[in-house]
Amino acid sequence: MTVRVIDKQGVRRLVENLQQEAKVVAPHRREGENQWAFQEVTDPDQICLEYVTTCLPPKEFAFPTRETLVRYRLGDPFAAEAVIQAEPIVLFGVHPCDIYGLQCLDIAYCDEHCDPNWVARRAQMRIVGVDCIPDEWCFCAAMGTATVDSGFDLFLNALGDGAYLVEVGTEAGEKMLAGLELREATAAEIAAVKKRLTQRIKRERQIEEDTRNLPLRFTGKAQSPVWEKHAERCYSCGTCVLVCPTCICFDVVDEVSLDLQEGTRDRVWDGCMLEDFAVVASGENFREERFQRLRHRHFRKYAYLFTKYGRPYCCGCGRCVRQCLVHIDPVAILNDLIAESKGGATRGA
Amino acid sequence: MALELCQCERESDLYVPRPTRVTRVKPQTTLETMITLQFLDGADLGHRPGQFVQVFIPAIGEAPISICSAPNPENTFDLCVRKLGDVTSAIHRLQGGEVIGIRGPFGNGFDMEALQGHDLLIVGGGIGLVPLRGVIQYVAQHREDYGEVTILYGFKTPAEQLFRDELDSWVTEGQMDLRLTVDRPHPDWSGHVGVITTLFPDLKLNPQRTKALVVGPPIMYQFVITECRLKGLADDNIILSLERRMRCGVGKCGHCQINNKYVCMDGPVFTFSEVKHMWEAI
Repeated sequence: MTVRVIDKQGVRRLVENLQQEAKVVAPHRREGENQWAFQEVTDPDQICLEYVTTCLPPKEFAFPTRETLVRYRLGDPFAAEAVIQAEPIVLFGVHPCDIYGLQCLDIAYCDEHCDPNWVARRAQMRIVGVDCIPDEWCFCAAMGTATVDSGFDLFLNALGDGAYLVEVGTEAGEKMLAGLELREATAAEIAAVKKRLTQRIKRERQIEEDTRNLPLRFTGKAQSPVWEKHAERCYSCGTCVLVCPTCICFDVVDEVSLDLQEGTRDRVWDGCMLEDFAVVASGENFREERFQRLRHRHFRKYAYLFTKYGRPYCCGCGRCVRQCLVHIDPVAILNDLIAESKGGATRGA
Repeated sequence: MALELCQCERESDLYVPRPTRVTRVKPQTTLETMITLQFLDGADLGHRPGQFVQVFIPAIGEAPISICSAPNPENTFDLCVRKLGDVTSAIHRLQGGEVIGIRGPFGNGFDMEALQGHDLLIVGGGIGLVPLRGVIQYVAQHREDYGEVTILYGFKTPAEQLFRDELDSWVTEGQMDLRLTVDRPHPDWSGHVGVITTLFPDLKLNPQRTKALVVGPPIMYQFVITECRLKGLADDNIILSLERRMRCGVGKCGHCQINNKYVCMDGPVFTFSEVKHMWEAI
């Protein structure tokens, strides 16, 4: 498929075309702040495609922070029905790491049992990706997620002056470009984008090991001093799980209307770093200590789910360390584990 | 976005509880009650002993509860519930006749076919006996398929003894060797006294033929497993059921994870071989 070029006006027209058929969500800069957030586009000129990672990943548009799964009418007998709300939506301007994150959730949500709510939303979702601006925290290059070759309908690579190379990922993506009359990219433009990507990847933070070996590096590390060392500063606030594109865990709660006529069962985001996550009815807490929770989260990301699904459940976006009050850093944890398993002692332990 | 190989159309009701009638309520102790349930459409739950269901009390919530009976021709099933939280307290308020919701059965349960031809050592501590009652009923229904069956049942005080009007029939009709113990001496108790491991020295087992099924509070496992190993049982033949707080029951919510296993999908029944290297298991 040919690579084409879309200019600033073309991007605006593309967004307007997409808005005819779907809700379009894109990164916006928060007023007066160096922070970005995905929100619905009202004015295409307000979209900010050249942005550092958003505070929250776009997964909330397929897995809302709170969503009703079941609605019921009280009475004898009660009557319950599934609630599956989905609408056509375009996520416009998604970084490769976040595309990778959505794919991780696709795999986990469709494994064995298929989550009907996730799937319904994803089936109506289109993705327009955009290359990213790294900051001091992200490590997507190390995780192999600085670029993606699937998971998008269109992908935009910046050429400067608001113009982008357009890569088409799906038939739906090709249809999005209908009527825009884009010119083909020149070899020089393609080469320039490739060069920029290569240089960017070199500048990023590195994990001192081929990430394919990470599950191996976790072998025998349950009792490592690394966990206590890093968990010592943890507030158990759960920010790292709430901002993570690959975190999937949830709790389920019931809401009943004031007239006691009907109710809903809702799922809300939950996370294994929160203190009561593994408490059972008798009061026993199977992960009572902070280091146990930190250890579980990292084993899950880089060993358990990696081994189960063949890919790390970390996209290297760096949101967890960026937003952590004390900057507990998975790169530092991984590098400590790697150093330890290569024979060194844990630094600072 | 193309999501391939998706089974979703067949699972749109994944989270929807099925209306189920409470056909009988049978209080057990001050803390535990037993309810018998039947789907409104009379359908079979289709479970194995050791599986669990998610019990939904409208307007209150949902809780994972072990099934406490073997499949039967009436298509009813029993749940024995300790009063601990909102949902279990609501279960204790049931009078019979109400309609509550059920999702499941979930989990693997005990592989009753694989246990055929073996002697069984069934060890229940406290409400650990609840999921084992399904095994005991199943074995009684298919008695010729199993060898000698020994049941060790320990509880803290005589007042906490469950299923007391059934225990005799396990011995007489079920032809099982039932041994009871209470943790500490009590004026109302003339039987064996001591924690459940004190029943082991008198046991005569053939370790080659025996499979142990162990369910109890977390603290019990390490001691009972040690006793089983001292009797010569291989780790593959020590079978446990582990408790965690399942929210979804279908391997998504993450709550019941033990190392790389989901209790709701891979368990709750595990052999000791499977879990002995998992530092979060017991």
